[in-house]
Amino acid sequence: MKKLSLIFAASLLVSPLAMADVVVIGHSAGPDSITENQVRDLYLNRSNQLPDGQKATPFEMAGGDPVRAQFHDKVTGRNDAQLKAFWSKQVFTGRGQPPAEVGSAAAMKAQVSSTPGSIGYIDEADVDSSVKVILTP
Amino acid sequence: MKKLLQLAPLALAVAAGSASAQSTEDTLARMQQQLDAMQQQVNSAKNDSVRFNGFFSTGVARASNDAGYAGITETTSVNDLSLIALQGTFDVTEKSQAVLQLVGRGADDWEPQIEWAYLSHRPTNNLQLRAGKMRIPFFMYSDSLEVGYSQPWARPPQSVYGPIAITSYVGADATYNFNFDDSSLTVNAFTGFTDEDGTTGEVQLRNIGGVNLTWTDYVWTLRAVAATAEADIDATRLKALVPPTITVNSVLADGERGNFYGIGASYDDGSWQIISEVTRVELDGKFADTDSAYLSIGHRFGSWTPYIAAGWTESKDEDERKGLFINIPSQGVVVPESILNYQRTDYSVGTRWDITPGVAIKADITHVRGLDKGYANLNTQYMLSNDTSSTNVYTIKLDSAF
Repeated sequence: MKKLSLIFAASLLVSPLAMADVVVIGHSAGPDSITENQVRDLYLNRSNQLPDGQKATPFEMAGGDPVRAQFHDKVTGRNDAQLKAFWSKQVFTGRGQPPAEVGSAAAMKAQVSSTPGSIGYIDEADVDSSVKVILTP
Repeated sequence: MKKLLQLAPLALAVAAGSASAQSTEDTLARMQQQLDAMQQQVNSAKNDSVRFNGFFSTGVARASNDAGYAGITETTSVNDLSLIALQGTFDVTEKSQAVLQLVGRGADDWEPQIEWAYLSHRPTNNLQLRAGKMRIPFFMYSDSLEVGYSQPWARPPQSVYGPIAITSYVGADATYNFNFDDSSLTVNAFTGFTDEDGTTGEVQLRNIGGVNLTWTDYVWTLRAVAATAEADIDATRLKALVPPTITVNSVLADGERGNFYGIGASYDDGSWQIISEVTRVELDGKFADTDSAYLSIGHRFGSWTPYIAAGWTESKDEDERKGLFINIPSQGVVVPESILNYQRTDYSVGTRWDITPGVAIKADITHVRGLDKGYANLNTQYMLSNDTSSTNVYTIKLDSAF
């Protein structure tokens, strides 16, 4: 428990006080860049491939997160309620499942850095060497 | 493990003070390593091969009379609009899945029914093959027919969705996706059979074959569908109007070929939500051939999406129903075949209110005219003894997906 709280304390230290721009991050072995449309397609179940052909694993911040709202405002143009309605249709028609959700920028970086083919988004100020920025929408 | 991670922010508030004091680069690096190690554990422990989702609806509806439009009368109970569904998605292999959806409806005393039960296989990224029990894809909203949360309305427009009693089939389909830069085309072919107790009686469709095409640029969606089948239809509900000692020929179709055609279009730019479908049903014999259409226009204002809709249904083969269905003057039961006709228009105004992601409330008022021109899909008993030409249906519904 103590270790966990230390880790989260650390993640807090690198968190910005004010929110900067959201950036799209990828696994270090993934492509170096991606277009906004390609990112949109990955997050709206229209595609499941990265530009280099490998299977993509997108991650989302949890609903209500301001970075998530900023990302979707810029990339998919949908708010949380619209996303929920969209995914309920995908799920109950057997077309797919929404991306796995993470609870913090630190968890997002940890998932993306440890999952080949993954893609995620964080606040620019949270970027570190564990992940690479592949798009600034 | 996941719970601990979720609880951590709480602990953080307590520990933050002391931790910030010793925030050297060494500590950070060590913690990063620990975090990575933990993440690996989380990843490996996570079981993605089984997922459960569900949806739920409840509500009240009341009509201004007992005509029974959409099954709603003056005394409709909460149970009639209530349903709960649980869907399990099981990854069999990397490319194969089994999907099972159970729906319990208040109207059926919550007895669970299997609506989806299929195996799907994706040999390539763009091709999907499925076999099992699935929704029959006549309409734009067929696949999510009962998922109220994914629909803008309190109920799918009855002008188009009402005349077709069949919702599921057992068979197989193949779906191919052509992805273009900013649009996609989906081609789906399906075949199978169905045997259901529909709204008017027993309906059996054999050797179903159909194709549907959907093109979308993610704002506009255009859809076309054509299907054919051999139909057996027995209007058992009409038969129930007379004592069992009297024989009535309630067979409306006996192996005749039925055809279904539909086109649909929708526009959704995030603010405006415009949906329209036009359908045609053709079947030799007494069963009504119908043309139907609706147009629905909605607009999002934050969490509110008010809509207006108009629908129309008309039977095209009235000359096939000139006789009498039941003719027992001695008992005062004379039922003309023309009761199977449709000449109906309906007008709806309503709104969807997204309370929170996953939960929406809908309110709807629908006015229907032309009921006296044909009683198909209505409460026949009431219509035969009353001179009713219109009805108003008031609905409040809560839809949720989880």
